Amino acid sequence: MKKKKLFLVIIALFMVTSVFTGCSEDAEKSKATDFNYDRDITVAARDAASGTRGAFHEIMGIIQKEGDTEIDKLVTGALEFDTTDKVVTAVEGDKYGIGYISLGSVSSRIKAVSVDGVEPSVENVKSGEYKVSRPFILVTKGTETDLVKDFLSFVESKQGQDIAEEMNYISKIDEPAEYTSSGKSGTIKVAGSTSVTPLMEKWQEAYFKLNPDVVFEMQSNGSSQGITAAIDGSYDVGMSSRELKDDEASQLNRYVLAIDGIAVVVNNENPIDDLSSDVVTSIYTGEITKWPESK
Amino acid sequence: MDNISKHNNAHEKLMQAIFFLSASVSVIAVIAICLFLFLRGFQAISEIGFSEFILNEKWGPTNVPPSYGILSMIVGSIYVTGGAIILGVPIGLLCAIFLAEFCPPNIYRIVKPAVNLLAGIPSIIYGFFGMQVVVPFVREYFGGNGFSIMSSSIILGIMILPTIITISESSLRSVPESYKEASFGLGATKEETVFRVVVHAAGSGILTSIILGIGRAAGETMAVVMVAGNSAMPLDKIELLRPIRTMTTNIVTEMSYASGLHQLSLIATGAVLFVFIVILNTALSLIKSKSARN
Repeated sequence: MKKKKLFLVIIALFMVTSVFTGCSEDAEKSKATDFNYDRDITVAARDAASGTRGAFHEIMGIIQKEGDTEIDKLVTGALEFDTTDKVVTAVEGDKYGIGYISLGSVSSRIKAVSVDGVEPSVENVKSGEYKVSRPFILVTKGTETDLVKDFLSFVESKQGQDIAEEMNYISKIDEPAEYTSSGKSGTIKVAGSTSVTPLMEKWQEAYFKLNPDVVFEMQSNGSSQGITAAIDGSYDVGMSSRELKDDEASQLNRYVLAIDGIAVVVNNENPIDDLSSDVVTSIYTGEITKWPESK
Repeated sequence: MDNISKHNNAHEKLMQAIFFLSASVSVIAVIAICLFLFLRGFQAISEIGFSEFILNEKWGPTNVPPSYGILSMIVGSIYVTGGAIILGVPIGLLCAIFLAEFCPPNIYRIVKPAVNLLAGIPSIIYGFFGMQVVVPFVREYFGGNGFSIMSSSIILGIMILPTIITISESSLRSVPESYKEASFGLGATKEETVFRVVVHAAGSGILTSIILGIGRAAGETMAVVMVAGNSAMPLDKIELLRPIRTMTTNIVTEMSYASGLHQLSLIATGAVLFVFIVILNTALSLIKSKSARN
């Protein structure tokens, strides 16, 4: 019993002292700002169900397709966060971190790097030079009612596109026309991408203000499901945050409404300003574990 | 007269019904949750296959074909909870003993409210503290990138302190004074009395506090999701300083976007967690009743 007691006291002392020594060293070490190229890269990704992740991993070739199989090769030990903000906080706090977030969420807390020499700016995404972006698409079967057509023309109008830009997406329509209320009534059924849903809700809200007799039915269940629903006609409009596959595209009318750029972000103290897409892919698949020293 | 007693009778009946209803709410809630978890969870497990779900360490719900193995998360939950117990129980217990037996009143006035305050801090704040302070601390002094079993255990260890301290302290205080007097009477010192008599007599209360602490640690989500890193690690790659995904963080990170079988598999993860906690509680209360009989 005596020994047990002594043991417990020693553990307690050890814990207390380790906390205090930790604090004092903390102050000294934080002064060192040199970038250590021997440290492992901290890879931050999004959760498996995220639309941003789906698009980014697809564009960067992190998802590898072999025949019928499709495997996400994200490196073991990569951090996975359920929100953009947690990715930002993780990269902000870790000098050796890398992450990807929607272009609209880039702030001074982290640094967005160029990919293949192209800076991630609204202009470059719009012109298509910056490749890491995904379209927000609406699809219809082509047999839609006038009401649905009217809603789509609203979405493509100046008012509709202003809403998209307010939400930090990039308008894809040059010189959109002014929308005037049609006073139609009826129901519009929309289904699909959870990433497009917030934008769609804003559009519906604004459209409803102009046409109070219109009722929306909305299902937020993922791009693929929205596309399927549009093809089989159970919904008027499908939302997708990914490009259509060839067999889907042949059956549908496609409206690109906005573009969401995905920025590759690193810590502000990281000297790197430009990464090739190959390097980004290698980092995310674990072929590279340390920051490349040149550039 | 008759009227009044009738009125009283009706009144009493009504109040009885209200009390009964209040009592049934928690029971109904438990039953409803169980039904929901197990019906939906069973659907997923039968579709995926039991061993494919429980004993498979590969989690890739978006792969084609998808794989839904949660073994690494079960192990992750066990490690993180274990870590929290290793850190939290000794500190909490010693603190409770100090508060109950050795603490001068003027220090008690500071420590006790601090412990209570610790219990009231929302878990998201713990998570934020963990992400901003504990994670960089672990990264700097222990290595890795900081998002790890260790960080999670530290945060959870702190979070279970109030549970352990409060319940242990009250059970230590409820040990009859006569036990101590008997011990002193036999010539034991204060320390001997406390550690050999009081702690022993309060054993079942202390064990209860540990059970509740384990329950809290295993079920904690918001704080862990911010410090664990949430990587579903293959079993052979799990290390103290590497990221980990627990069952709770698996649910919370993917629930918002998941659909179809993926969503059902997350509910099934919840069912497994539920079973996990029930087993834990039953095992410990068995130990408790055994020690009570001895």
